[in-house]
Amino acid sequence: MDTPKKNAELQNQSMMMVNAPINPELIDITDGVMQIPLTSDGATMQGREPPKKSLTPLQDSLRRLRRDKRAMVSLGFIIAFILIPIFGPFIYQHIGGPYNSPINGVVGPSLYHNPFHLESTRQDELPSAQYWLGTDSVGRDQLARLMQGMLISLTVALLVEVVDVGLGVTVGVLAGYYGGWIDQLLARFTDIMFAFPGLLFAILLTGIFGQEVDTSLANVPIIGPNGNARLALVSLALAFTAWPLMARYVRGQTLQLKEQQFVEAARTSGTRNTRIILRHIVPNLFSIVVVASTLNIAGTVIGEAGLSLLGLGVQQPGSSLGLMISDASSSLNVHPFEVLLPSIVLTIIVLAFSFLGDGLRDAFDPRSKD
Amino acid sequence: MVQFLIKRFIGLIFVIIGVTFITFILGYFAPGDPIRGLLGNHFSLQLYNELRRSYGLDVPWYQQYWNYLVNLAHFNFGYSFKQQGYPVWNILAEGVPVSAELGFWALTIQVVVGVPLGIYSALKANTWIDTTNMGVMLILFSIPSFVLAVFFQVFITWIDQSTGAGWPVAGWGNNWQYTWTDIQYKLGPILVLSAIGMATFARLARTSMLEVLRQDYVRTARAKGMREQVVVYRHALRNALIPLVTVIGLSFGLIITGAFFVENIFNIPGIAQISISSITDRDYPVIQATVVLLAVAVVLGNLLSDILYTVVDPRIKVG
Repeated sequence: MDTPKKNAELQNQSMMMVNAPINPELIDITDGVMQIPLTSDGATMQGREPPKKSLTPLQDSLRRLRRDKRAMVSLGFIIAFILIPIFGPFIYQHIGGPYNSPINGVVGPSLYHNPFHLESTRQDELPSAQYWLGTDSVGRDQLARLMQGMLISLTVALLVEVVDVGLGVTVGVLAGYYGGWIDQLLARFTDIMFAFPGLLFAILLTGIFGQEVDTSLANVPIIGPNGNARLALVSLALAFTAWPLMARYVRGQTLQLKEQQFVEAARTSGTRNTRIILRHIVPNLFSIVVVASTLNIAGTVIGEAGLSLLGLGVQQPGSSLGLMISDASSSLNVHPFEVLLPSIVLTIIVLAFSFLGDGLRDAFDPRSKD
Repeated sequence: MVQFLIKRFIGLIFVIIGVTFITFILGYFAPGDPIRGLLGNHFSLQLYNELRRSYGLDVPWYQQYWNYLVNLAHFNFGYSFKQQGYPVWNILAEGVPVSAELGFWALTIQVVVGVPLGIYSALKANTWIDTTNMGVMLILFSIPSFVLAVFFQVFITWIDQSTGAGWPVAGWGNNWQYTWTDIQYKLGPILVLSAIGMATFARLARTSMLEVLRQDYVRTARAKGMREQVVVYRHALRNALIPLVTVIGLSFGLIITGAFFVENIFNIPGIAQISISSITDRDYPVIQATVVLLAVAVVLGNLLSDILYTVVDPRIKVG
């Protein structure tokens, strides 16, 4: 099979292109200031500002990213996706006057804007001043539940990425740099994990251990109550299926870096392996890790929502985008808004991460776009 | 070629052993005693031991695993816990035809629609047609299948309510029969399931075609003054299609994970639905059997596409 080798070569070339310093004169021309090519004796330099400092590869990539409108819009959505579930509930629970509920007496916004609070007389409502995005089939505030669901997605994404990057980079670098048994082990392991469609493994793990985790973690604060106990399991399962791919990417990149002259130079001058790995290899993995993990977040968010949709993730009365979809899908013909709302939010989140990932890849490696 | 096949086959066996081991060990360490769950609160010790032996749970784990492998080799998946004494094989036999039909049509539509879209996009590279097409494909590629399914259902109910057409939102007709009612049932799930992989095919077809169009022999053909149609369809297209063969294996996995959600949302009694309901019932033999079956399908898909790849492209060195 020649394809992987060819891809590696291509990547290598394009990587070197990114790393090549940008000619400052070219930048001047693109900025619209025509310059007569300078001679090296400096005579013509007089009376002119010193030439612009050449950009580092990272600065250059970021500049390219900033020009990518789709990626920047996606970045805006992602920032909103991070900020809204963290600060939104505190603000939302202070907005609105007291409400005289027929069942619960007089309740304030801190209660009726709580994602777990039921107002059984206010079911299936459309957006109103009290309930900004309406209520669900048992009278819970949809906006509050949406924010709670986004918080769940965010938490799971964060947990999975920590494991994914930590494990993937460690194993990938070791396998790529040293080769040998660790490389063999990684190859066999990834073979098995690729045969297992990732979600299938997560379904299996959460399905078998879900109830046990529910009962054993129910009394643990923060993660236990509100049906969130299984999230630990969901994150574990998703991270376990995600890291082999990251390790493969990192391994491939390490193999190329190992052959580069700066690594050879470091080795010739007697630098120890650990130092070469930490100072020369790992920093150069930055772009590939950022791109891979951004794209992986999209998959993780889908995975969590999907598992919750199948009843294997967040349990009632908790909230998750997937759980909201499955709650509302039974009354889909009467109240389509309730099922469309979480679906659209989920779509926006997933698209934002995919677009940003794509944009990052193009920014780091302009030749990948054809 | 033979050497390559043997090598791949050994790899296949290795992967299957890994997959079965993971599923077995998860089932083995699963909390709770399945026999107690079967018997309820009142039972005699003798009955308990008898049942335990009949399910083969009285031997140590390595022996259980060995028995499990031997049984698998004989296509014996054991007996269901939930429906006592009912062979898992029969349960699978009810679901497999449904899922196979769903998957078959989804894969066909993916290839038949996705590949031409990608090729067309490559021929019109960097025009508005290409940009729109690839934009739609990227969105299809990113949207989770269950969201797509929900959108489709909302769309169908909207049509039903506004026109009075009684288009069903969920369910499945008769297997491999295509009366109008069957088609009404099947169209939605098949379209939704095919949408995801279609994007994969289209994107790869575009990349592959663009790569081929840049080759020297295409330039030579054009320089010779050949008609553009001949250049595109005779010279470029055939070579562009070769790498796509490998994608078929990849899309096996996509279809199977997609099927979990599509079958769940459209309430189709396929293998994925059986797997999910057996998880809620904690029916471990059925869970293990479905997982092994699906994983083996993925592995075989990969193997098939590898073999096809060497068949269609003799340049590839085997072994």
